[in-house]
Amino acid sequence: MNTREIMVLTIICIISGFCLFAVHNLVKERIEKTENTEMIRLLSEIFPSSEFAEENGIYLARSKENGELEGYIAMAEGKGYGGSISLMIGIHKDGTIKKVKILKQGETPGLGARITEENFLAQFEGKSVDEVMLKRDGGTIDAISGATISSRAVVEAVREKMLELAYLWRSAG
Amino acid sequence: MENLLAIAVGMILVNNIVLTRFLGLCSFFGVSRRIRDALGMGIAVTFVMTCSAAITWFVYEYLLVPAGIQYMRIVVFILVIASFVQMVEVIVRKKAPSLYRAMGIYLPLITTNCAILGVVLINTEVERYSFVASTVSGFSAGIGYALAILLMAGIKERLEIAEIPESFRESPIGFIIAALLAMVFMGFGGMV
Amino acid sequence: MKEFTKGILKRNPIFYLMLGLCPTLAITTAVENALIMSAAFLFVMIPSAAIISMVRRWIPRNVRIPSFIVIIATFTTIIDLLIHGFLPRFYEVLGIFIPLIVVNCIVMGRVEAFASKNPVRESILDAAGMGIGFSAAIVVVSIIRELLGRGYVEIFGYTVIPSFTRSPIGVMILPPGAFLTIGIIIAIFKKKGLLKGV
Repeated sequence: MNTREIMVLTIICIISGFCLFAVHNLVKERIEKTENTEMIRLLSEIFPSSEFAEENGIYLARSKENGELEGYIAMAEGKGYGGSISLMIGIHKDGTIKKVKILKQGETPGLGARITEENFLAQFEGKSVDEVMLKRDGGTIDAISGATISSRAVVEAVREKMLELAYLWRSAG
Repeated sequence: MENLLAIAVGMILVNNIVLTRFLGLCSFFGVSRRIRDALGMGIAVTFVMTCSAAITWFVYEYLLVPAGIQYMRIVVFILVIASFVQMVEVIVRKKAPSLYRAMGIYLPLITTNCAILGVVLINTEVERYSFVASTVSGFSAGIGYALAILLMAGIKERLEIAEIPESFRESPIGFIIAALLAMVFMGFGGMV
Repeated sequence: MKEFTKGILKRNPIFYLMLGLCPTLAITTAVENALIMSAAFLFVMIPSAAIISMVRRWIPRNVRIPSFIVIIATFTTIIDLLIHGFLPRFYEVLGIFIPLIVVNCIVMGRVEAFASKNPVRESILDAAGMGIGFSAAIVVVSIIRELLGRGYVEIFGYTVIPSFTRSPIGVMILPPGAFLTIGIIIAIFKKKGLLKGV
């Protein structure tokens, strides 16, 4: 490659970098704001009357009224039939589940994808970690018929996360 | 968490990059007429993918992230891939002319093969693999691609003596085959 | 004018030239996805063609491919950032296929074959024609897939075609359905003699 060729390519790269830097700066804050807003929206769906603070990778929910700790929200990942399943688990401060939300999943529509349905997820509410297992495995959760793997993935993800965070409510008595 | 075998099986069977993730399709339909061509293309793609995965991992971790310019990834990755392929072509043409005659023509096609950039983006953005996992992923993706394209070529060679309705000849039948292959590969779901 | 229309039917990039297949099959699971993708594609295609046509005399032959790539990649990154910031929901759905516009054979192919050798006005028309041909194709495919695969069509929250069946053909929104739809469409076009030599 002769000098002229290198020069032209370099100039193009520099102009490109410049343009991208400019656009990135314009959009940067917007992106952050959108991600934050989205996160707060999801957290508020679980604990409607709380404010949130992040600590060690999980969110603590404190009542807006009196600042008392209401519970915890953690993210978890499960290995589903069609890839990773992302979930959000809301836990009361006594260690029972408040709500499980599915954020992202790639399961089979009509079968495994039904893990997002209220019928399935509502089963988790109020349960403690020992009860979080599929009925056929000895627990209290009904799997979605025809979608055992997807159901089990969710159950295991919730269970593991709860075991991991058990120290939080164990010490609270 | 990073199970290398799971990644490999995932890329080759469960989430085959061609039949499930829809990457590398242009070359998939274009270069799958003869098993020989398919094999050459498959090997070339596997090689480029593995090396690209490795190189781009370094570029991402040690250049883009520290400088905070991840948004430049598209430009940088594609330049890295294009330069690498160019370099390989030159070297192969000089040092191994017979190899070049067998395979060299596929190399320029690979630069714009969306599979390469796609896999690289998956490695760095979607799954955020480590170096080893990225390379394994790249290699497996190449194998998965080769598998798909070989199956397609094999079937197409057989179809040459079959009676196909006029309007389905050439392109459409290729898509129907792909649909059937995709269905077969769907059966691998849940293995990982 | 002919430059513009040829991209839509006779030389339709997807059904005839068989370029740009990857996004066509991947994101046509919903009509709204196809619409956003079309917009993104045109955003990359037309300015890239225009700029490349403008500077075509100054770019030495040997470095033209890398130069084109950088220019196209720049516009691709811009639309990627814009969608990330202003349409985050679609950013998730379209995923890696926005960045993949840069290696979309249609863009690179047309730019190399046409824009780099022709004046700006014609290049823009060519790019626009190809872009609209692409857009039309993916919207049509997505209508078929969403309608048959989900039973209804919903765009940006508005139900355009209400649900008319309890049991849609689920496979249509899965990979096999994608291949099947395109294959059958091309076969139909061939039968009607709309495409030659495919």
